[in-house]
Amino acid sequence: MSDPSSINGIACVAMTGKDCVAIACDMRLGVQALTVANNFEKIFNYGHVFLGLTGLATDVQTVSELMTSKANLYKLKHDYAIEPKTFAQMVSTTLYSRRFGPYFVGPVVAGLDSRTGAPFICGFDSIGCIDYAQDFIVSGTASDQLYGMCEGLYEPNLEPEDLFETISQALLNAQDRDALSGWGAVVYVITKDNVVKRLLKTRQD
Amino acid sequence: MPGLSFDNYLRNKALEDSGVKLPTVTATGTTIVGCKFDGGVVIAADTRATAGPIVADKNCEKLHRMSPKIWCAGAGTAADCEFVTQLISSTLELQSLYNNRPPRVQACLTLLKQHLFKYQGHIGAYLIVAGVDALGAHLFSVQAHGSTDVGPYLSLGSGSLAAMAVLESNWKSQLTKEEAMDLCAQAIEAGIWNDLGSGSNVDMCVMELDKPACLHRNYRTPNVRAQKERSYKFPRGTTGVLQKKTKPVFEVVEEAVTRSDVMEVDA
Amino acid sequence: MESIARKFRNEYANDELNLNENNMVPKFEIPLVPNPSEFLRAHTDDSKNPDCAIKIAHGTTTLAFRFKEGIIVAVDSRATAGNWIASQTVKKVIEINPMLLGTMAGGAADCQFWETWLGSQCRMHELREKERITVSAASKMLSNLVYQYKGMGLSMGTMICGVTAREGPAIYYVDSDGTRLKGDMFCVGSGQTFAYGVLDANYHWDLTVEEALALGKRSILAATHRDAFSGGSINLYHVKETGWVYHGNHDVGELFWKTKEEEGSFLNVPTELK
Repeated sequence: MSDPSSINGIACVAMTGKDCVAIACDMRLGVQALTVANNFEKIFNYGHVFLGLTGLATDVQTVSELMTSKANLYKLKHDYAIEPKTFAQMVSTTLYSRRFGPYFVGPVVAGLDSRTGAPFICGFDSIGCIDYAQDFIVSGTASDQLYGMCEGLYEPNLEPEDLFETISQALLNAQDRDALSGWGAVVYVITKDNVVKRLLKTRQD
Repeated sequence: MPGLSFDNYLRNKALEDSGVKLPTVTATGTTIVGCKFDGGVVIAADTRATAGPIVADKNCEKLHRMSPKIWCAGAGTAADCEFVTQLISSTLELQSLYNNRPPRVQACLTLLKQHLFKYQGHIGAYLIVAGVDALGAHLFSVQAHGSTDVGPYLSLGSGSLAAMAVLESNWKSQLTKEEAMDLCAQAIEAGIWNDLGSGSNVDMCVMELDKPACLHRNYRTPNVRAQKERSYKFPRGTTGVLQKKTKPVFEVVEEAVTRSDVMEVDA
Repeated sequence: MESIARKFRNEYANDELNLNENNMVPKFEIPLVPNPSEFLRAHTDDSKNPDCAIKIAHGTTTLAFRFKEGIIVAVDSRATAGNWIASQTVKKVIEINPMLLGTMAGGAADCQFWETWLGSQCRMHELREKERITVSAASKMLSNLVYQYKGMGLSMGTMICGVTAREGPAIYYVDSDGTRLKGDMFCVGSGQTFAYGVLDANYHWDLTVEEALALGKRSILAATHRDAFSGGSINLYHVKETGWVYHGNHDVGELFWKTKEEEGSFLNVPTELK
């Protein structure tokens, strides 16, 4: 058996644009070589905060549900939805509380601050070290390929429509070179007023 | 600390024993240095975070504030450096509120070393602790197992050898503030150029007696990325879309919650 | 028997090219370690050791089946090294000569090298005997050869396909363990089970050429969809007594959506958001 974070195979990427952010993931759920499902989305939203989870699928589900409970309790306590920055801190402490028995996940957080409208993205390692980035965050089995695509394609201050093309092409071309991810893709582009969710037409091999 | 959970420990141990390779965590394959000067102390760090052979973060922050005038530079496991400094910093804050005086560097060092010793090296934090207090300027280092060092100049991390070479050849007693800052920056640059685990920029923090500490984020930026010669923007409509859905980000939900109802919150 | 066996050994091979002039079996350098095959495995088997230094390209779906009008051969074109997709355009059908086809699964280099070698052996046979070699004889040459190297780390799973006047359409499965099987239908590679699923459900002897080509293509398509290590494009061949005919390269990226639309199949793939 290989390492737990590449059993199921997941690719996820987030990018910032001009007053917008985008986050995208593939749709595959596999067990090693076998593709079990192609409708497995790994991006979850908590109010206006978006969380992409890569790694071991069982932990992806556990952590997403754990964060649902925590974000809901936060909302009940404060009477307003959690902000991306706060949510990132919450993910970080949650993961670090399992420092010596980690969840095998590589989370990605994306969203706009509801007061300032500032784009926010960040990534984490499995024990909660935050990687604040100004440009893009990648995670999952195709992360090496995504690093290459994003370093090449990314440019700052893209309009939402252009950001969509850039993030989609980065993800699509990365997962086409990874055996364990792909089989569809979803892309969220988040602007001040709207969140646009698109299902991409991708290779199915 | 609210207490660490070991729930997944046995599961992960079983996986590890069956030959599974556990995922690599972000390490600050790092160069950090500290140097005392007349009337203060300065610490500096590079800004590269690595995960195995991959540069995970090109401009991360390795200088942590323990109290307004005590700062730490961290090497080793990135998450451990972040959380151990946060934890001890909050303890220091509570102590200084209780005692009604600013915390001492020695107190900070003791809290750190006792905590790290308790965890027997499993918390992989290697820190340079520096600051000014009622007794003057101080410079210490603490290793993951809890041992500590004192010295007029110190270096830690994978690039410590490169940095120490610079410090050993250029350090002298009675440095001025400017000289100390320049020496530290040179030492970090030695790490940036000669150690593969270190890179990008130089961060620096200067702590002077009777002055507020001063953080110089990206004090030197010798690795600015060259402007791309052309744009790689795709024409709109390049990507095939099967379906598109739009909804407002902030959905206004007004609902009356009564006691008898099952409580409803966002799914 | 010993004289036949000697032909395939390298006892006399010692010239500069390391080639035995009689049968052109090269002599290989063996690493100077107590157990060469274990040494090779330790450094190349990424399924046991993901950190191994040399990752040999593998992962495949190939199929061949016999029917009224000859033989259909269909293969995918993906090569992987670990989880990395090294190529999407690999030729996994080796055209041994205008009459014989060999397929490629397992070590790409092993298959390519030994099936090319087989081609020259077949030509030697033709020159000596003044008639075409039978599929049976050709496949046996290959299986005898790999058996010599058994346990040394060769990795091949191949089908030797051809139509001769004496045998009619014939398929032989030969692998590096030394197995040699005659059969009507084989699927080989990591995606073999998926291909068998489609093939078994729709196969019968009296298929027309057109139907048979479509079935071969559809079976590989199913395998590329479910098996992570198969994909890219599909290469199709029809083997007749006059030799093989190439029926094109079909990119799975487009073929999948075309098939889905035409058949109304692959309903597991969503076209709408939840």
